[in-house]
Amino acid sequence: MSELAQRIEACARGDRAALRAVMETEGPRLLGIALRMLRRRDLAEDAVQESFVALWRKAHQYDASRGAARGWLTTILRNQCLTMLRRESWEIASDAESLERRQDEEIVMEAYGRLDMNSDLRRCLDRLEPPKRLAILQAYVLGYTHGEISGRIRAPLGSVKAWVRRGLVALRECLS
Amino acid sequence: MSRQMQLEDRAMEVALGLAEEQEAQDFETLAERDAEAAAALARARARLEALDETAAPETLPADMWARISARLDAPLPEADLAEMAPEFDAETVTLLPAPAATRRPAPRGWVLAACSGLAASVVLALALVWSLVTGPEPVVIAVLINDAGEAVALVEGSETNLTRVTLLGPTPVPEGQVMQVWTKPDAEGPPVSLGLLAQNRGSALAVEGLPPPGPDQLYEITFEQAGGSPTGLPTGPIHGKGLAKEPL
Repeated sequence: MSELAQRIEACARGDRAALRAVMETEGPRLLGIALRMLRRRDLAEDAVQESFVALWRKAHQYDASRGAARGWLTTILRNQCLTMLRRESWEIASDAESLERRQDEEIVMEAYGRLDMNSDLRRCLDRLEPPKRLAILQAYVLGYTHGEISGRIRAPLGSVKAWVRRGLVALRECLS
Repeated sequence: MSRQMQLEDRAMEVALGLAEEQEAQDFETLAERDAEAAAALARARARLEALDETAAPETLPADMWARISARLDAPLPEADLAEMAPEFDAETVTLLPAPAATRRPAPRGWVLAACSGLAASVVLALALVWSLVTGPEPVVIAVLINDAGEAVALVEGSETNLTRVTLLGPTPVPEGQVMQVWTKPDAEGPPVSLGLLAQNRGSALAVEGLPPPGPDQLYEITFEQAGGSPTGLPTGPIHGKGLAKEPL
């Protein structure tokens, strides 16, 4: 069992030192992901903080046979970020939209560019038509909804849903 | 489309974050009891996780641990408390407010007077009146006594181990330390932490997985380093301790 998995199990037994150790080893990585999704440092820090609180409370649910501990932790963080993004009281600012759109595209293309050229994910994303690829990256890296994707490319929501799904199926088939 | 393919594609949508909230929840619930769905979800997440590695790590703020541990110690939001233990009336908390260590205790002179010396019986009587006027009583009450024989805290435990701690008079908490509340569900076993008293004030603490408290169960408060005992067992000096009694 990985060191991280052992620490999560220790958290389930109420060992706070283990939680702190997880925070120290995994926190910076999680904060990087959160900052990229939420764009604001204060919100990203909140997301990381709440993710560790959730880890503490859910540690007893962690089942090592169902996947790697690192991915489990990332999922908690991603779900926290998505919840914050979807919360009505706080939305991605709509002012200075064109500037932000450019920044968003840069963030997404940077993520794409950093993928290992030889990785399956990179190879399979490369095969998609560029708009589908962009939409999938926007959803994962920035937490875009179907609605936001359709707004950005000015296409009807229904058709965006359909072709994103086709892109996703193609990606999954390529990766399987 | 085969069920397997359908599962794989739904899982991809959930992992990507594009599924509607309800859909995502439904799928995760399904994954809890359906091994195939769980495996599909795990595969979908693993397929995409290389993208997480492309985010540059960021230095955590220096106070991140303090923020997290404060959240762990904070009483649950009132809504959650109400759900967990309706037997506690939220208003009871204002009856015997615990002055923070730094606040001037003067206006609480009557509390001090009532509690100075070994006035545990007075406190106990007070507690009984209190529960009579505020609804169904907790299943155990303990008065914690310090080395000098003074009552320093009142602990009420509910069936579900929601524990209300009321400090009696100002508490000299050493700089940089925090009060941690313990109990021994099994007289022969180790003490178990019920939680920290955030801001060194009385608080309702929720803990899961313990048997309902019973008579003669030990409760105690110790001073521990910020964030709580590093070992999970009491390490600091005892502020007060006492055995639980059942209210009549």
